[in-house]
Amino acid sequence: MAGIGLSGVTKTYPGGVTAVDGLDLTVHDGEFFALLGPSGCGKTTLLRTIAGLEQASAGTVSIGDRDVTRLAPGQRDVAMVFQDYALFPHMTVLDNIAYPLRVKRIPRAARHDRAREVGAGLDLADLMARRPAELSGGQQQRVALARAVVAHPKAFLFDEPLSNLDARLRLSARTFLKRLQRDLGITTVFVTHDQAEALAMADRIAVMDAGRIRQVGTPREVFGRPATSFVAHFIGSTPMNLLDATVTGGRLTLAAGTLPCPADLPDDTRVTVGIRPEYLTYSKDPVEDALAGTVGIVEHLGSSSLVTLETDGAAPVGVVVEEGAEPEPGTRGWAVPRPGRVLLYRAGGGDLLA
Amino acid sequence: MSAPAVLARRAMARVGLYVFVGLVLVFFALPLVWLVTTPFARTPSYRVPAPSFTLHNFRILWDNPYAVRSIGNSLVLAGGTAVLAVVFAGTAAYALSRVRLPGRDAVLYAVLLLSSIVTGTAAMVPIFLMLFQLDLIDNRLALVLVLTGGLLPSAMFILKDFMDTVPRSYEESARVFGASPFQILRHVVAPVVRPGLATIAVWAVVQVWGNFLLPYILLHDPAKQPAAVIMYTFYDEGGQPNFALISTFSLLYSVPVVLCYLVVNRRYGFRFQGGIKG
Amino acid sequence: MLFVAPALALIAAFLVFPALWTLYLGVLKYDLAGSNAAAPQFVGLGNYRDALTDPRFANSLLLTVAFVGLSAVLGQNVLGFLLAAVLRDAASWVRGVVNAVVLLAWILPGTVVVFLWQALLDRGGGTLNALLGTPGAAWTLDHPLATIVAFNIWRGTAFSMLLYSAALGAVPRSQLETARTYGAGPLRTLRDVVLPHIRGHVLTNTLLITLWTFNDFAPYMLTGGGPDHRSETLPVYVYRTSIEGGALGYGSAISLIMLIVNLAIALFYLRLLRRRSA
Ligand SMILES: Nc1ncnc2c1ncn2[C@@H]1O[C@H](COP(=O)(O)OP(=O)(O)O)[C@@H](O)[C@H]1O
Ligand SMILES: [Mg+2]
Repeated sequence: MAGIGLSGVTKTYPGGVTAVDGLDLTVHDGEFFALLGPSGCGKTTLLRTIAGLEQASAGTVSIGDRDVTRLAPGQRDVAMVFQDYALFPHMTVLDNIAYPLRVKRIPRAARHDRAREVGAGLDLADLMARRPAELSGGQQQRVALARAVVAHPKAFLFDEPLSNLDARLRLSARTFLKRLQRDLGITTVFVTHDQAEALAMADRIAVMDAGRIRQVGTPREVFGRPATSFVAHFIGSTPMNLLDATVTGGRLTLAAGTLPCPADLPDDTRVTVGIRPEYLTYSKDPVEDALAGTVGIVEHLGSSSLVTLETDGAAPVGVVVEEGAEPEPGTRGWAVPRPGRVLLYRAGGGDLLA
Repeated sequence: MSAPAVLARRAMARVGLYVFVGLVLVFFALPLVWLVTTPFARTPSYRVPAPSFTLHNFRILWDNPYAVRSIGNSLVLAGGTAVLAVVFAGTAAYALSRVRLPGRDAVLYAVLLLSSIVTGTAAMVPIFLMLFQLDLIDNRLALVLVLTGGLLPSAMFILKDFMDTVPRSYEESARVFGASPFQILRHVVAPVVRPGLATIAVWAVVQVWGNFLLPYILLHDPAKQPAAVIMYTFYDEGGQPNFALISTFSLLYSVPVVLCYLVVNRRYGFRFQGGIKG
Repeated sequence: MLFVAPALALIAAFLVFPALWTLYLGVLKYDLAGSNAAAPQFVGLGNYRDALTDPRFANSLLLTVAFVGLSAVLGQNVLGFLLAAVLRDAASWVRGVVNAVVLLAWILPGTVVVFLWQALLDRGGGTLNALLGTPGAAWTLDHPLATIVAFNIWRGTAFSMLLYSAALGAVPRSQLETARTYGAGPLRTLRDVVLPHIRGHVLTNTLLITLWTFNDFAPYMLTGGGPDHRSETLPVYVYRTSIEGGALGYGSAISLIMLIVNLAIALFYLRLLRRRSA
C-alpha cells in the first residue's frame, strides 16, 4: 500500500510539446483518484510518467516512500490498464491474467491457480480458455482488470478504461470498478475525460488543463466551488452559466438583470458570474434579483428540462426546470439564483473570487 | 460488317487463343515431363521414356555416397540460414520499428538497395577472396553467414512492416509488469508476428535451397556440398551421365521446394511469392 | 542496440565490405596464383582500360544486353502479360494447369531445371529433336544465345504473370465494360483503359526482372558460356576470368561495372517506389 507523490513533474516530448508542466500532486494511500481534463491536456502523459513509460524531464515521482523517478516501469510495482486493454491476442484469458506472474517466474501451476481465483472474482470463470478476440468489450475490460489485480501492485493506473464500452455497459462497469477498488483498497489513479465518471467514482479529483492542475478536491468541492472558470465550465453535465458582469454599488450588473454581489468589491470591477443551471429557479412572473430573458430552446433531460433564456446580445442563461413546469418558447422568463450559489471569477477566464 | 463475318472472326479469335494457350502449355510442360517420368523408367536416358515402372533407380540414388548426404547438407544450410535470418532480422526489425531515429527509413532503404545490387553474382570475387584469405573455404558456418547477410535487408524490411502493426500498448503493458526486452520479444512480439516470421523462414529456405553460385565457389569438399552443387557435378563430370542417379536425385531435391510453395500458397496465396522472390 | 548489432554486423561484412573491397581490388593487378598473388601491384585504372579494350569483354557486354533485352524485357514481360490477360477469362481448370506448369518452372531448383533443359535439347536423345524430327541438331552449340534466352523466358515468366494478374485484377471491370459498350476492340481497350492502369506495374516488373536476369548465373550451368564465348554473359565472364582464371583484380573491375549497373537499376526502381507511395 502506498501513496503517490509528484513534485515539479514536467514532461517535454522530443518534438517540443510540453505535455505536463511543473506539476505537484499527492495521491493518498488507498485513494481512488481521478485525473480529469479535456482530451490532449496531458492526462495520459502524466499517468505514463507515473508508470515509468515516460521519463520525467524534471521533477520527482515517488510511490510509497520510494523515489522511483529513475526506475524502470517493472521496478515500480504498479499495474496499468490501457485504453485498448492491451490483451495479448495469442494467449488465452487464463494466460493473459497469469502473465504478470509468468514474468515473476512463478511456476505454471501456481500462477494458473492464482489467475483462476482472481478471474472467478471478476466473473470470468467460464471464459478462461477463450482468446481475447472471442470476448465482448466488457469481458475484455474485466480480463485487463484481472491481469492488473493478479500483479498485486502498490498502485493501479487506469487510462480511460471505460471509454471503449457502450453507454449502458459503462454505467455498470463504473459500479463494478468502484466496488473492486474499495474491496482491494489499492491506491488507484484513474484517467478520464468524462466529468460525470470522475464525479461518480473518485474520492478526489484533479482537474487538468494544458499540462497543469487547475483544481484538486472531492467531487463535491469541484462541482460546488470550481476554482477557476475553466473548471466551472468543464464540470457538470449541463455547463455552468458564465456571464460577464460589472460591480456597481455592491450589486452585479449583467446584460440580463442585476443581482446582489456576494463579495465586497470596488465599483467598476469586471467579473465573470458563474451559476449552475441546477442552482437557478425559474419563474414565469417578474421577480427581484433575477436574470430575465425570452425562452428559446427547451431540452428534455429526463426528470427535468434545460431551458435556455435568450438575452439580447449577451450569452444566454440556462435554467433547469422540473418536469411538467416547462415554459412555452417565446414567452418571457426569469431565473433566480439560490442563496449562496453565485460564484464570482476574475474576468477573462480567471480564478474564483468568491 | 455482316453478322456471319463477326461470328467467324470471334470463332477465329477463340481458336487463336486456344492455340496460344496450348503452345505455351507445351513449351512449359515439355522440360518437366522428363522430371516426373524418368525416375521410374527402366532404362533412363535423355529421352522421355516410354511408359514403364521401376523403383530400382532410387536404389542407385540411395547407394551413392554423396547424393543423400548433399540433401542433408542443403537442409543444414537452409535451416541454419533460415534460423539466423529470422532471429537477426526479427530482433533488428523490432528495434528499428520501436526506435524513432532520424534517418532510420533512409538507412533501411539504403540497406535494401545494397542487398539488391550486391548480389552473389556481382560480389563473388570479394566474397570468395575474403573467405579464401580467412581460410574459411569449406566452412559451412561461414557460408551460412554469407547467405544470411544477403537475405537480411529484405527480411528486415518485410518484418519491420509486421512489427509496425503490433500495438505499442502490448509491450508497454508487459513492461509495466516487469518483463525484460527479451521477454517482451519472446512472449509478446514474436507470437503476434508469427505469420511474418514464418514467411521469412520459408522464403529463406527456398532461396538457399536453390542457390548454386555461393556454395559452388565457397565449398569445395564434395562431402559438404549441398544438393545444388552435387546435382551440377553429377552432370558436369563429362562422359555419359548416370541417368538413374540424376533423375531420382532431381526429383528428391525438387520435392521440398514444391511442398514449401504448396504450403505457402495455401496460407498466403501467390501474392506473397510475387512480392518476395528475388 | 543489442538487437540490431548482429544484423548490422552481417550486412557490413557481407554486403558493404565486399562492395567497397571491389572498388579497391579493381585498381590492383592481383592474381590468385603467381607473383601478383603475394604482392598485388597498383595499376590504377589499368584493369578498366584492359576491360574496355578486351574484345571478349565487349562481346560479353553485348551478349548480356541481348540476353536481358530478349529474355526479360521482351520475353518474360510480354509472355507474362499475355498469359495473365488470357487466363483472366479462361476456364478455371485451364488457369490451374497453366499456372501450375509456369510456376513449377520458376520454383524448381536451378541446377535441376538446367539439366531438364539439357535433356530436352540433347543432340543425341533429346526430346526436342525427337519431337521435331531433327536428330543430331545441336541446339546449345549452334544457337547458344537463343538457348539461354528461351531458357530464361521459360524459367522466369511466372513472376511477370503473377504480377500482371494482380495488376489486371485491379483494373475496374466497369471501365472495361464501358469501353466495350462504346464498341472499342481489344487493342483499343488495352491502350485506353488497361495500360494507363498498369503502367506502374509494367515499370516495376521490367526493372525487377532486368535486375535478376542481369545477375543470373544459370547460363553458366547450361552452356558454360560457350561455345567459343558465344553465351558468355557478364556473370559467367567474371567467374571465368577471376575465380577460374585467377585474375582477381581484373575480375573485380568487371564486378564493379556490374555493381554500378545494378545500382542504376535499383536506384531507378526505388525512385519509382517512393513516387508511388508518396
Ligand atoms: N509521444 C508523443 N510525442 C509527442 N507529443 C506527444 C506524445 N504523446 C502525447 N503528445 C502530446 O502531448 C499532449 C498531451 O497528450 P496526452 O497526454 O495523450 O493527453 P490526454 O491523455 O489528456 O488526451 C498532446 O498535445 C499530445 O499531442
Ligand atoms: Mg489520453
